[in-house]
Formats: sequence, C-alpha cells, structure tokens
Amino acid sequence: MGPEVSLSKRNNVLYCVIAILLLCILLFPLYWMFVTSIKTEKEIFQIPPTFWPEVLNLKSYAAQLKSGDFNMFQSFGNSLIISIGAMVIAVILAVPASYGIAKYHFKGRKSVVLVFLVTQMLPVSVLLTPLFIMFKNLHLYNTVWSAILADATIGIPFSVLILRNYFASIPKEMEEAAYIDGCNKFTAFMRVLIPIAKPGVIVCAIFSFLYAWGDLAYGMTFIIDQQKRPITAGIFNFMGQYGTKWSYLSAFAIVTIIPVALIFIFMQKYIITGMTSGAVKG
Amino acid sequence: MNRVKKFFKYDNVGIFFVLPALLYMIIFVGYPIISNFILSFQDVTVKTLLSDVKEFVGLRNYIELFKQDNILTTSLWNTLIFTVACLVFQFIIGFALAVFFNKKFAISKPIRGLLMMPWMIPITVTGLIFKFMFGTDVGIINYFLKGLGLITENIDWLTNTATAMPAVIFANIWIGIPFNMILISTGLSTIPTELYESASIDGANKFQAFRKITLPLLRPTIESVLILGFIYTFKVYDLVYVMTSGGPVNSTQMLSTYSYKLSFEMFKYSKGAAVANILFVILFFVSLFYLKFTYSQEEA
Amino acid sequence: MKRLLSILIAGIMMASLLIGCGSSGNETEATQPAASAETGESEKAVSAETSGGASGTVTIWYYWETAGHQEALNTIVQQFNDSQDEITVEAKYVPFADFKKQLSIGASADELPDLVILDNPDHAAYASMGIFADITDKFDVSTYYDGPVNSCTLDGKLYGVPFGSNCLLMFYNEDMLKEAGVEVPTTWDELLETAQACTKDNVSGFAHCALQNEEGTFNFLTYVWSTGATSYEINSEGGIKALAMVKDLVDSGAMTKAAINWTQGDTMNQFISGNLAMMINGTWQVPTMREEAPDLNWNVAPIPMDMQQASGLGGENYAVISGGNEEGAIEFLKFATSEETCLYMMETMGYISSNSVIAEGQFEDDAIYQAFVEEMQYAYARGPLAEWPDVSDAISLAFNEVITGASEPEAAAEKAQTTIDSIVGQ
Repeated sequence: MGPEVSLSKRNNVLYCVIAILLLCILLFPLYWMFVTSIKTEKEIFQIPPTFWPEVLNLKSYAAQLKSGDFNMFQSFGNSLIISIGAMVIAVILAVPASYGIAKYHFKGRKSVVLVFLVTQMLPVSVLLTPLFIMFKNLHLYNTVWSAILADATIGIPFSVLILRNYFASIPKEMEEAAYIDGCNKFTAFMRVLIPIAKPGVIVCAIFSFLYAWGDLAYGMTFIIDQQKRPITAGIFNFMGQYGTKWSYLSAFAIVTIIPVALIFIFMQKYIITGMTSGAVKG
Repeated sequence: MNRVKKFFKYDNVGIFFVLPALLYMIIFVGYPIISNFILSFQDVTVKTLLSDVKEFVGLRNYIELFKQDNILTTSLWNTLIFTVACLVFQFIIGFALAVFFNKKFAISKPIRGLLMMPWMIPITVTGLIFKFMFGTDVGIINYFLKGLGLITENIDWLTNTATAMPAVIFANIWIGIPFNMILISTGLSTIPTELYESASIDGANKFQAFRKITLPLLRPTIESVLILGFIYTFKVYDLVYVMTSGGPVNSTQMLSTYSYKLSFEMFKYSKGAAVANILFVILFFVSLFYLKFTYSQEEA
Repeated sequence: MKRLLSILIAGIMMASLLIGCGSSGNETEATQPAASAETGESEKAVSAETSGGASGTVTIWYYWETAGHQEALNTIVQQFNDSQDEITVEAKYVPFADFKKQLSIGASADELPDLVILDNPDHAAYASMGIFADITDKFDVSTYYDGPVNSCTLDGKLYGVPFGSNCLLMFYNEDMLKEAGVEVPTTWDELLETAQACTKDNVSGFAHCALQNEEGTFNFLTYVWSTGATSYEINSEGGIKALAMVKDLVDSGAMTKAAINWTQGDTMNQFISGNLAMMINGTWQVPTMREEAPDLNWNVAPIPMDMQQASGLGGENYAVISGGNEEGAIEFLKFATSEETCLYMMETMGYISSNSVIAEGQFEDDAIYQAFVEEMQYAYARGPLAEWPDVSDAISLAFNEVITGASEPEAAAEKAQTTIDSIVGQ
C-alpha cells in the first residue's frame, strides 16, 4: 500500500531487520523441530531444554531410510507421483473453470460457484467410504490413481475460487485486443489470457501440489500396500502403540519438508515475480 | 458500446469452460455427499452395516443427537469458537504481513517466500510439533513463558480443559497465516500503482489511501479468503485429532472429530453421518449468505 | 438453471454407474486363485503339508508398527510360503489408528483380507457384524487360557484364535525408590505414599496411560477390578473408590496430569528417560526397554491393590474373514499356532502364549517375564461385548473428568453408569 517508491537506505535496512526478526519468530517451531531431530531421545526430554544439542545424534535420520516395509525413497516417489498427478488434473480442470466463472455471466453462474463451495464442505472422513466403493468398482483400489483422483478433489474447488478473482481483475481490453486480432473465445483464452494469468495459475498449481502432498487420509485408506503409500503414511512408523519417538518423528518431519522446500525455493523466484508485478502494467 | 453488447451475448459459452471441473466434482464428491445424507436417515451400526435392509428412521438420529447428546452441542460450540478465533487472528496477521512485505526492500521477496513454510508442512506433522511444544514439563512454550516471567508454574496446556482450546487455536493460526498472507499479497499486486499516485497527488494520506483504495479493491480477495478460510477451518480434523483427540473431556471436540469418532471408533455410522451433515448444512448456509452478499454487489 | 440441473443429474447418473458397475458378483479378490505367477499351477499335486483343497492367496491385515514385529511376522509368513506350494500368504500393515476404520470401510465395500490380527476387546464387535467365519469345529482351543478364548467367542461359537496375550504390572525404578528410602508399595495407600515420596523436580512418582480411549480404559480398569467390581459396575462402591483413588493420585501430585495425553508407549518413554519412578505398563514393552535402556535398574511387581490382586488382559486374536479364502487362512493358522512358530513370535514380541501348554514353558530363566506369566491368572478381560467400544468410552470419559477436575467421582460414576446401562440393557 502506498506509492511504490524505493525506500531510503536507512529504511531499507530497518525493514530488512524487522523482516528477519519476523522470520525467526514465525519459523521458530521449525527450527525447534530440526534441533529436536538431531538430539538423542534422552536429551529431548531434558529440562531445561537445550537449544543446540549437546550430543549430536544422527541415528534418527538413518532410521528414516528403511523400517520394515517402509522405504523412504519409494514413499517419496509415490508422494511425488500422486501430488504431481493431482496438481495436473486440478490445473487442467480448474483454470478454464475459473476463467469461465470470472468472465462469463451465464445463467446459473451463482449455482456453479455454490456447487464448488459445497464440495468442500464435507469432512474428509465422510468421503472415505463412498469413494472407496467407487474406486474399488473402477479397479483403482490400491493404485496411486485412487489417491491422485481423490487429492485432485481438494485442489480443484480451491483453485477455481481463488483464480476467479485473478481472472476477474484482468481488464477486458486485453481480451478485446485479442478479438481484434481475430481470435475466437478459446484461442483468446489460450493465447492471451493464460500467459498473463500464469502467476495465478502457478500459485494454484503449487497449492494443489501441496494439498496433495500433505494428504494423509486418502493415501492411507485407498492404498493398502505399504510400498505404494505416500510419505505421509510414514508417520505411523514412529508413533503408535509403542510410544511417540520424538527424535525419529522430527527427523521424519524434516525429511518430508526439505524436498518440498527445495522445490519451492526454485519456483519461488517465478511466483514472487509474478505476484508482485501484477496483472496490469502501468 | 455495441461491441460490448455483442460480447455479452455469447455469455453461455462460459458453461463449457466450467463443465469439466464441475462434472469431476459432482462425480467424486457429489455422490459421497448424497450417500452420506441417506446414511444419516437410516439406522446403521456395527450390527446392521452388512445387512441388506437398512431401516429408514427419518430424523431420529438428528433428534437424538440434539436432545440427548450434549457432546454434540459441545462440538458445535467448540467448532464455532475455534473457527472465528482462528479466522480473526490469521486474517489480521496475514494482512499485516502482506502489507509489510509489499514494500520493496532488499530481501522482502525471499523472506516472504520462506514464510510460506508453516503452511507447507503436512498438518499431522504440525500437530505433533505443537503437541511437543505445548507439553507441560518438556514443552518449550512453558519454558519461554516462565523465562518472560509471565507464569510461575508450568501450564498444563493440553491436559487442562480451559487451555486446550487456546493451544489448538494457536497452532491453527500458525498454519493459516501464510495462506492469508499470500492471497492478500496476490490481491494487493493487482491494484494499479497509479491509483496511489493520483491519490497522493490529491493530498490523501496513507490511511485514507488504505481505506478508500486498498480495501474496496481488495474486497473480492478478502471475501474469498474469509469464506474459504471459514470452510477449511470449520472442518478442521487432523490438527485437533493429533494434538488432543478432541479432549480433554471433549473440550476440543469438533464436529468433524466427533463425526469420525462416532463412525469409526464407536461403529455408529448413521450418527456419524448425521453429525457430518450438520456441519455441512451450517457451511451451506454460510456460503449462501456469502454468495448473496458478493453477487448482489457485482450486479449493482 | 435448467442446464445446471441436467448437468447435476448427468453427473449423479454417471457416478451411480461407476458404483453399480462392479458391485454385481460379490466376490472378494481372494477367492479367485491368483493369476499371479506366485501360486504354482501344481494344485493337482497333493502336498503333504496342506489338506486337500486349500490354495490361493491369503492376505493378512495387522497393526504392529514396530519394525521388529513386522519382521517377525514376515519371517513366519515366508517360512510358511516356502514350506508348500499351494498357498501364498501376504501380510499388510494397517496402522493401529486406522485399523478399525479400514475394517469398517472394507466391510462396507466388500474389500476385506482373508485373515486379521486384531485387538481382543474389539473382536466381539466385528464378530457381531458378521464378518468373521465361525471356526468352532476347525480349531482346538482346549488348552488355551479362558480369558483370550472368551474374547473370540460370541453366542457360544468360536470366531477366532488368540494370537498371544499380555498383561499389566507395575514397573518401578529401583534406584529412585532406594534413594527416597521407600519400599515397593503393595496397597493403594502405600502407592500414594511411595509415589509422593519419589516425586521431586521433574520426576513424577507414578503414572500410567490415562488417554480418553481404549488404552486408557485398559489401565484404569485395573483399579476397578482390584476393588472387586466389574467393568460394568462403575457406579458401585468399588467403581467410585477407583475413581477417587485416581483423583487422589493426581491431586496429591503423585501422578502427573500429563498422563491424560500419554499412550502406554509415551509412558514407557518417560520411565526410561528417568522422568517417572513407577508406572503401570505391559509385557510387550519389555523388549524395547531392555534394548533402549540397558543400564536402567528396574523391576516389576504386582499392581498395588485395594481388595484383590488384579491386572488387565491384553493381546491380539486371529480372525478368519468369512467369505474369504477361509481354508487357506486356517492352514496358515495351524502353522502359526504350532509350538515352534508361536514361541518365536512370543519371544520376539514380548508376549505370553495364550496356549497354556506353551506359556508354561516360556521364559524359563527370565524373572521379569515369569512375573507376567504368574500375573496372567489375575488378569481380567474386557468384555467380550459387541458394544464394548461404547462402554469403554463411557469409562474413559469418567476418569478423565475426575482427573481434570471437571467432575467429582460420584457424579462421573453415575453418568458413566447411565450410559453403560443403556448400552448393556439393549
């Protein structure tokens, strides 16, 4: 807010300092989890707590690799496949849908938006049994496809509703310019609008990916073979009847996040540039 | 003007853009919603789950829930309080952060990116982190509070009926801040900068600019963020299940956790379905309200 | 609007087609002889190991998440598969938290395994659902302990075979007790005193799992049974006494309130970390404790009592799913319950065999395990009752209310009893 003049050097430094402070406060839980993962189980329960381990313990990470039937690399691959699949489906279906809702005031538009909202209103637990039956009859039970299809249902309505605003903010002049050039509705959409809306599309692709990545219920219920389950299922290896092993669990958490963080760091430049440059230039 | 009229004549084309997504959702989610509806009007428990004939009992499950089951009313209240509290704080903090990071200072972009982290972590894992941090004797939060001199005795966050809810709310706020921040940021980025420039030329100060330009233009974004936030927060499950399982003594029992418990731990499938429907109906009316509100503005 | 309606109808019709398509012909996958290369085509060749007819794949669902347990199960599965050609067994892990849910959904969708290994108090509920096969004449359980066998029985018919049992004892940290100058408590009053004496700084004198779920109920009921009351008589002198005892333990500081959030495993972790002087816990923790805390000086003793010695009976049962590959499953069961295989599993997992013949020969040199075997005669079973989960829920709510101070023992007991009566009365 406010005119985008560049800040004075002093203000610049001030803002940077505040920003770093905010970062430290907000991300402290993650730091704490990381530190916990390299402590010994005993030290974790020590009081007063240590902020950096006295004794480094990397066993927890070694334990992540293989535990019974659970294989970290395999699960990670499964998660990737499932998340990318869900993301692709979500983007392909949701982008046109949100465009349609944003730009075209057709009859029943309100009802369509209502339908998308409504599909998010049931808690996951209730969707499990009917979807299970459906996937079983489609012979998709115990395959990654059941998880992909189910996870896409999380990303689609969300993307539609968020992208709607984005598309709505793109001024009509852009479209009209495309028509003048001879495009019909669909080509105008593909050639002109998608490139402009790319940042919004990417943000939605990422959200859909992450929702699928963090999903536990669908992956657990529809896939019975441990080798095919997503990485989130690994949580149960470290908590259960025999207690919560905090060192293992925190290592598991870090392992689950690091790849996602990496992906995010690389895509980040893309997103942030896109988001802040805005859909309209001057 | 003629061009514009012609443009809108072909509005119905929009349906085709929408159709694939719509059908997908109706198939994969519409069917479960309906079967859940039907289930709540039957009498399905562990003994009747596999029988061919399921007795239709009309509204009996609902009546029993409202009349005899005080856990239902507790869950209802808990869910409402939880949702409103989370939304308020998430929104305010997220908004403030979005505004702050909208300024162009050297590291604004990377830092904002990093702040997305809380939201990227699988919720079950976040639940465990906070469960650990809120631990009575080993939790770091008590340690900090003591260090700051705010408390003298350790607070038993998750085992005390009065403090369990605030703890869970706190965790959920942490998760939700990035969501609010990023969406508002996206919204902020669509506001053309000339508007601010001309406003300042006209003599408006920052607050006036905020009220007269930023807020109105951000309205659609704000509405989306709030309504989606409401829906997602209202059906919170994983976080609460992991941190407290709805306890202690149902002080953090939410509609969704209660529904799960009824269905899959006590084998009262129909009752579980009924509770889920109550959740559903509430959200439905909230959405209706939202739609009426937004679209009446647009049509004006 | 009309267009939207037609879309909706089309969508629902499509969905119902998808559902309807596969559900004709309710054959579970397991009964179809596997097209997989694993099953030899030599069904004709009669092997000495299997009785004629049993073949195909057998899928087992189990919930043990400890790597050691999983490996043990996979080992005996492998042994069985290697020993003959007709039947191939596969074991699939379903996490404990998900197990009931998965069984319910599987039952609804007709997608169940052939054999399940499940927690004994849940057995009756599923038997009443009708998903377990009646194996009354196919198995000889005459030498098994009564408690475990009762948990597999419904209406006089046998719906499963006990896998193994365990029970609860009090574990204590010898060094801590010596330091506090106290003896091992044997009664409730002594427990209060001893626990308070051992409580200091960040060490709690005593704790056990007090979660508001089956695990918690399991531990709490040892108090109730010790007074002579049954698990259905909460609003009795004994029941109220038990609730009051728990309240005293917590109010006096002897037992930490945090136990409301502790699983039995968490409790054990606290104990081996040196934050807990005494705990109630089970046989199955022993292997882990020995491995993770070899230098800790600990021992076991009967749980301090009120009127009589009491412990809780835990353990799992095998159950054959009706309509699955029943014969194949039973063949595997015969193998799994044979002495050698059984002993191997019991030893690896820290269980006591439910077969008294085998149990008496177990753990000859191990005093700790022997204490558990000795305690088996005082171990009470939960249920069996199809509605046990409801009853358990009412009980765990009661002691949670008392521990958090939300209710007084009398009020909590009365409330629980009302619920229990309405359930059992049906």
